[in-house]
Amino acid sequence: MSSGRSTTARDVSINPQTWRWSHPRVLVEDPDGEAGLAIASGLRFAGYAVAVCPGPRGHGQCPLTGPAGCAPAHDADLVVCNLGYEREVAREVLRELRTRYPSTPLLVVVPPEIDADLREVLDSCHQLPAGATPEQVVAAVQGISEHAAEGGAASA
Amino acid sequence: MRSPFHSEPEAFRFLLVLILALVPIVLAAALGPTWLALVVLAVVLGGVAARAAQLRMRKLRSPDLPVKMAPPHLGSAAERRVLVVANDTLSEEALLCEVERLGLAPRMHVLLLVPAVITPAARLTGAIDSLLDQARARMQAALDRVGHDNVAGKVTGEDPLEAIEDTFATFVPDEVIVATRWEQTAGGLEPRLAGLVRERFAVPVRHLVFEPGSAAHEPDEATEARYQREFGAAAARKFGLRALAGAGILAALVMSLVALARTTPTTLAAANQAAAALPTGAPSALTKVIELKVIASGKKGPDGKLHDDFTVTDFHVTVGQPLTLRIDNTDTVSHSITSPEAGVSIIVLPGTRDYTLLVKQAGKFEWRCAFPCDPWSMAHVGYMRGFITATAA
Repeated sequence: MSSGRSTTARDVSINPQTWRWSHPRVLVEDPDGEAGLAIASGLRFAGYAVAVCPGPRGHGQCPLTGPAGCAPAHDADLVVCNLGYEREVAREVLRELRTRYPSTPLLVVVPPEIDADLREVLDSCHQLPAGATPEQVVAAVQGISEHAAEGGAASA
Repeated sequence: MRSPFHSEPEAFRFLLVLILALVPIVLAAALGPTWLALVVLAVVLGGVAARAAQLRMRKLRSPDLPVKMAPPHLGSAAERRVLVVANDTLSEEALLCEVERLGLAPRMHVLLLVPAVITPAARLTGAIDSLLDQARARMQAALDRVGHDNVAGKVTGEDPLEAIEDTFATFVPDEVIVATRWEQTAGGLEPRLAGLVRERFAVPVRHLVFEPGSAAHEPDEATEARYQREFGAAAARKFGLRALAGAGILAALVMSLVALARTTPTTLAAANQAAAALPTGAPSALTKVIELKVIASGKKGPDGKLHDDFTVTDFHVTVGQPLTLRIDNTDTVSHSITSPEAGVSIIVLPGTRDYTLLVKQAGKFEWRCAFPCDPWSMAHVGYMRGFITATAA
């Protein structure tokens, strides 16, 4: 995390701020309200508590880049990101998620063409191609969760 | 305003802040003078008001990032749960038909949530029960009309948004329908409520508008945006008025404290000066009671013999203002302070009693004991004879 960004970031009001439901929890970052709701609906029926965030509209508008941090991201078991990575602010969110919560699985819906900078950011992320349906996103989340559970059980 | 007891952490935080605020006030009240407790109270209130204003301004200035949330679906995948939030619109046939249609679907659970919109005025006048009864009557009529076992009802006196939030923890809806009028009516739901629910919860939210006798309408985006703007303006107005009222109360409290701090020492100093200005031996204007004794053979006269006496024989009074004389008559017989010119006749019985000396005209009047006792004393000032000096107020 860049300390320069942290000090210049403004406070952002998130409503509601914290999870009120038990695990497993998935945070869906999607600027398209309808698409976010469709993914959320599928995840709910698959047994997940969900939070849907439209992501920042501009620099300094994401609490992840501020000192307060983002409570929904902090307590999520998995994050789905579909923010459209042609914008630098979206890449910033990805970087912060990777830096602050390295152990939280991150499923990223990626564009067809990935530049070198984005490739670096996407390192260690689960990737889905752009245009994936909500059902495919839900299936990917379930697969990642099961894999994580098996990994946890094996390490235990 | 959100209830501080809405959740366990919020209630704990509220109680902690309350205790931290009360401790200095109680300590100041217990260990210091009253004005110190008032000053501490003013400081604590000022601190709380400043913090509330700071949080409010931060909220208003910060960009809003609505994060919607929802719990996992409850029940089997085939089940659906729909929450219908309505109040005055429950009388509309179109809404009841919609609920009936929902109730006919297989594996469908419908909950009619009826918030009795309780205004601050209703809270003040104790009309809460009446509003709750009206809401119950509407809900029961709707349930009777729909007549499906899978349609249930719930009346709440909570803020509608908080009631919906609580319902997400118990009923766990997959869809929310908010039924309002085009414009808010007395006792009806705000049209803006649907937008607030959409901002908070990650489930589909339908806003249906019903007017008497008409079919359901769904407001377009421009109308929803207008509801949000109007709500924002109303909220800003309400906040401004509350801030103004709070500042007024705080200012009144501070002014009272300043007045208290300035007048108390002045008054005490003036009283002390007045007392000090009086001649020595004269009864003070501030003195409420003059204590004296009547002693048989208590004072030696110039003749070398002991004679009966009043230990105080000169009395200074203000015209029209009573002076209390606490006289301990140690003799076995009665004596008196009698002055027909002054209109005074006090019979002093044996023992200690309080008597009132009241003179209605200014002047210096001689008094004497009218009861036969020591003849020498009765003839001499300073023994059983003396003066009452009455000055105009």
